[in-house]
Parts: sequence; C-alpha cells; structure tokens
Amino acid sequence: MATRLADRAGLLAWLFLLPSVLYIVALVAVPFALAIAFALSDVSAGDPSYDYVGGRNFERVFDDPVFWRSLGNTFVFTGISMVLIVVLGKVLANILVADFRGKWLVRFLVLLPWTTPVALSSISWLWLLDSIYSPIDWVLRFFGFLGPGENLYWLGQPGLAMTSVIAVHVWRLTPLAAVIMMAGLVAIPRDIEEQAMVDGAGYWRRMFEIKIPLVLPVAAVAALFGAVFTFTDMAVVRVLTRGGPNDATQVLASWAFYRGIEGGDVGQGAAIALFLFPLLLAAAIAILRVVRRIEVW
Amino acid sequence: MNDGLFDTPRTRRDVLRAAAMTAVAASLGTACAREESGGPIQPPSTGAPQETFSDPRTKLSGELKILLWSHFVPSHDEWFDKFAKDWGGKVGVAVTVDHIDQAQIPTRIAAEVQAGQGHDVIQYIATLSQYEPSVHDLKDLVDEANDRWGAQLDLCRKSSFNPATNRFYAYSPGWVPDPGNFRKSLWEPVGLPNGPTTWDELLEGAARIKSDKGVQLGLGMSQEIDSNMVLRALMWSYGASEQDENEKVVINSPETVAAVEYMTRLYQQAMTPEVFSWNAASNNQGLVSGKLSYIVNSISAWRTAQGSNPAVADDVFFVPALRGPKTALAAQHVLYNWIIPKHVTAVDAAKEFLLHYTANFASATYHSKLYDFCAWDGLTPNRNAWLTSDPFGAQPADKLAFLADAIPWSANIGHPGPASTAIGEVFNTFVIPNMFARAVKGEATPQQSVADAEKQVTAIFDKWRAAGLVGG
Repeated sequence: MATRLADRAGLLAWLFLLPSVLYIVALVAVPFALAIAFALSDVSAGDPSYDYVGGRNFERVFDDPVFWRSLGNTFVFTGISMVLIVVLGKVLANILVADFRGKWLVRFLVLLPWTTPVALSSISWLWLLDSIYSPIDWVLRFFGFLGPGENLYWLGQPGLAMTSVIAVHVWRLTPLAAVIMMAGLVAIPRDIEEQAMVDGAGYWRRMFEIKIPLVLPVAAVAALFGAVFTFTDMAVVRVLTRGGPNDATQVLASWAFYRGIEGGDVGQGAAIALFLFPLLLAAAIAILRVVRRIEVW
Repeated sequence: MNDGLFDTPRTRRDVLRAAAMTAVAASLGTACAREESGGPIQPPSTGAPQETFSDPRTKLSGELKILLWSHFVPSHDEWFDKFAKDWGGKVGVAVTVDHIDQAQIPTRIAAEVQAGQGHDVIQYIATLSQYEPSVHDLKDLVDEANDRWGAQLDLCRKSSFNPATNRFYAYSPGWVPDPGNFRKSLWEPVGLPNGPTTWDELLEGAARIKSDKGVQLGLGMSQEIDSNMVLRALMWSYGASEQDENEKVVINSPETVAAVEYMTRLYQQAMTPEVFSWNAASNNQGLVSGKLSYIVNSISAWRTAQGSNPAVADDVFFVPALRGPKTALAAQHVLYNWIIPKHVTAVDAAKEFLLHYTANFASATYHSKLYDFCAWDGLTPNRNAWLTSDPFGAQPADKLAFLADAIPWSANIGHPGPASTAIGEVFNTFVIPNMFARAVKGEATPQQSVADAEKQVTAIFDKWRAAGLVGG
C-alpha cells in the first residue's frame, strides 16, 4: 500500500520549506551572485554585455577617495546609531512597560516612526532641516539660542549633516529596539524583581543588576537589527543630502548607487556594494548566535 | 535679510505668518520649481500655433510606448498626451504615454535596458550618452530632420552625437536656456536696476545687498543639478573647462583655479552655508520667498511665482549669462534627449513620431509657456513674438524678450567638447560642485581642490576611453 503524503515527514518538510527556499534563492542568492559577477565585469548601465575584467573594478574603487570616505562614514553612522538606538530603545521600553493612562495610544504613537516608509519620513525630516525654514531653527530662535535671522544650516555643514543623518536613523529605528526590548522586559519573571525589592534593592540596582543583564541578549538582537538597517540604508542619505555636503555623508550604499546607476558604471557600483557583505555576514552570524543563546536561556 | 518674520515671533499672528510663509515655500518644493496649480492667471493674449500633420514615410501599425519626464510646466504634459494619441489615431498606432519624475528616468532606463523590454522611445532632460551601446544609432533620423528643417542647433547636436564612435546615441529636438534670475527691488538700490552683466558686478552688487539688507546670493555648491550647471558656466566664463574640444582632460588649469578663487570670494561676501545643502528646488524656493537676491535657473520658478506669489513674480527679472574674463556662457538648463533602445521593435513608429513632434515643436514651446526651445530655430517662427509679448501674463510683457538671443550665450555640458559618457559620469557624481565646495569651505586650497578633481575626472575619462566611448 502506497504511503500517504501526510505520513512522509521528509517530503512534507521539503514541501513546506520550498516557498521560503525559492524566495531566498530568487531575491537573495541570485542578486548576490549577480553582484559578484558584475563586480568582476565591465557591465555598464548602457551595455549589459558581460566581459570579465578580473579585479580591475576593485583597483579603481581603492583609488577613489570618495569610496574610503563612504566606507568610514558607513561605520561611523552605524556605530553611533547602534549605541544610541540601544540606549534610547531601553529607556523607551522601560516607559512603555509601565502602567499609565493612555499607554496604548503612546505605544501606537511611538511605533509610528518605524511603520512610516523611510522615504516619506526622510522627506519630512528634509523639511524639518531646511536651510531657511527649519522649524527646529525657528524654535531655537524663539528661545533665544539663535540670533535673529540666524540659521544652523543643518544639511549644509559637514558635522551637522552627519549628525542629522544619524539622528534620523536613531529616530526611525529606536521604536523597533524598544519593542524588542519590551518583549525582553515583560519576559523577566516577576518573582526575581520582587525578591530583589524584598531584599532592599533600589530602582537603579534592580536596573543594572537584574533587568539589564537579563535583557542583554534581546538588546543584542535590537542592536544588530539597528546596525543592519543603518548599514544598508541609502534612502535617508539620498533624500536628505545626496551624500553632501562635499561627500561628507556619503555611505557605501549611496555611493554604489551614484557610481553604478547614476554614473552608469554598474561594475564599479557592484564592487562598492560588495563591501557591505562582510559586515552583514558578521551581523547575521552574531544574530543567529544570540538567538540560540536566548533559546538556551 | 530675513525680513523680521522669524526674528522675534512672540505672538500668535507672528506664528500664523511664519506658517503661511512656510506653506508658500513648501508649495514650491518639487524639483526645479515644478509649476503647481494656480499658474499664470491671465488668459493668453496670443493664440496657440496651428499643428501640422504629414503622412509617415512608411505604413505603421502596432503599439508605441512613450516614456518621458513630468514636465516642470504641467500644461505641457496635458498637451503632449493628447498630441501623441491624436497622432497615433491618424497613423494607426496605439500610443501610450507614461510620465515619471525626471530623477527616476536614468534608473528606469537602466532597468529596461537590462531587462530587454519596456518603452519604445524614452525622453530625458539631460544627455543619455551612457546608454550608447544599447540604443539605436539615430543618424538617419537626424539627417532627415536636417534635410527638412536645416542644421540642428550645435549644443543639441553635441549633446546627442558621439564623435568617437560617429553615432547619434540620441535625438535632441529641444533645449531650455538657463538665465540669471534677480529681484529688481534689491538690485536697484545698489545701482544695477537691470541686474548684473558680469561676474564682477555680481560680486559687487550681491555683497552690498547682503551687507545692506541681509539677503544672500543663491548659487549652489551642492550635489544637485543646478549647482552642476552654474559652476560650469562660471568655469567657461573664466576660460576653463573639464575637457577640450578633442575630449582631452584640461580641468587643471590656471583658469579653473581662478574661477574657484572667485567663487571663494563670492561665497565669503555674499552667501551662507545653505548653498552646500541645496537640492534642485532650493534656489527656486529662496528666490520666490524673497530670501535670495539672484539665482541661475530657467523661467519655471518665475512661472510658479506668477500663480503663487504675483508680487514677487513681477519683481523677478532676468539677465543672460554673466561675462567673465574670457566670455559669457551658461549651460543649457534642460536638454532633451530621446533614445530608442535596441530591444525595441517599433523603431519606425518611434522615428516617425519624433519627426511629427519636432515639426510641431512650436506647440511644445507654447504649451510649456515658452520653457522649451527648439533645436531647429525655424520651427518656432512665433517664438520671438511670444517672448516680446508674453501670452501668459508677464509684467512687463517683454520680460522674456532677451531669450530671443539665448543661443550665443548657451552651451552644452562638456563644452567645448561633446557631452560624452565620461562627462555624464563626472556630472552625475558631482565632481565639479565638490571641487568648488572644498576650496570655498577651506578644506583644500583652490590648487589642491582642482588637482584632486583632475584625478577623479581623469580616472573616469580613462575608463570610458578604454571602452571606446570617449575620444582624445
């Protein structure tokens, strides 16, 4: 008698996995293989014919000062954003797990930056950081921090432009970190905290010796998600500064786009974009390890 | 001058006024001052031109899919869509027209070229030299147009023809001038009621306006298209350029250094750091809202103001390219390039449509409210009459009359050479604005900044020269 399909566990497992595998192959593996192939070719926006050129694109990339600036900026933006996202996410999570009237409305509002498409929210920030009409400048002027007619030119000064890009990343990713850490906070058994209170531990001691250590694996997940999203994002830079002023906010993703698509040199653009891979690989391994630790815990 | 609006806003009225000003600015916020609803309110005093039709040279059928930008003057698109479909109806071709934001078009073309399918004929507002290997050579189309209407305007030819390969990678039937826009009420008190005519006068007048009235000058040094245009105009006026007529890189010259040094003085005396942060709409917004004394841009910002802020529109006047130590030249503001990708089968229909469109370019000029100029001057016989008596409500009516002589002071990107693939990449990676910005901000000396730019430009030229797409 033929075995029923429902009884063939191995086959069923593959059938259930197949959609995911196809999805990953089509949208991750194939584009990644194409990126490697393009990086070793002279493919341009106007000429898709493939000619192997070895490491020539990488040599040109290494000779390009904008690439090195973009690489440095990518790490600076990601590092600073990651720290701020974790710290502010933890603070926000503490607030959101507390009981107060209108908690659900506050949670909804806090989540909005994360749910808003990044292009739309970046355009809002573009207006907020406008050279002349910035409402932020208006408020600073109102309270006397800026003189009459004085502006900060948020996107026109290298330091302030970098700060602005980091601020937008932190603004949009902190809610995600907060939600992840909220899950960690509510999972802490209440008896542990109650026991500490009975033993006389104050708020800060409970925070640093109980809550933070227990939430740390979850915080790591939040940090790594923040890092991945910041490292790979080009929408914020493209909308706010287009990499300026004078390439001060150029990152790998945006420079790969400008060089590869706008400039027409797809091969070199692909070579630049491939430098995203090592860190993303490290981040993926780290996330998987942390998730495994959480499972064990 | 920030006209006191934001100086001490303590009352509710002040807040409301500030909000109103912000709303006016926001309404101008699409790229290069796309003209929003409102527009000029006076009815045209001169009628639209009669359109012509002649039978195509071959029997046509099937489909024709057209992709072009969303014009900065929306009335053009209303006219174009009907015009294209009417032509299709007469010749038996089903025409579809898609408009997208101009900034998205290069990405879209790249995607369609890679996919080997998409639109049959595509228009962009700058040179599309980078797509030469994947598009049809349109020499026969240009020859036919030249036979019908005479010689094509040189700046359009140089923006669509590659002398290194002897191919017309695009068909360029039109362009848009890039004059100086100034606020008469600001320039009159400094003794220049008709605006500056030289770069020296610009420095002198703009510096006085800034010191007397606090209103800055608006020439961008940012990673955007208008900065790319105006800084090349300055370089040419000083006798400098990225390449010579034979496509050899010549950017590292005493003339380029002198232009950078001039811009440093201009920035220090007449501008603020906002010019490093601009996008393509910023200078329009600043002019129309009264925050800038002078910008370099097409007439679209002023057309916008005619509807949204008529008082400012009446105060905005124009000047041709400013004269420098060597010459007076401005880059074309917009340059129309039409391409037919190699994967397209409706090639005949595309070419016949482009000939029909060119034959009726007078309508394009009229419905773009005198924004579009034709590459074959004889095809717009009424243009000078329109310019001297604006059908769309200019005050005074001859405000645009100076554009009748725009050709001698306009040049293509890449002047004195062609707009090649290398020039396109230099343009799109903002090498020139960054060269100026670095020196102006004191991050490098003018000599060092120019030398660094030369290194970048040379690397780009070498790459495309090796690919056979650049001469020299």
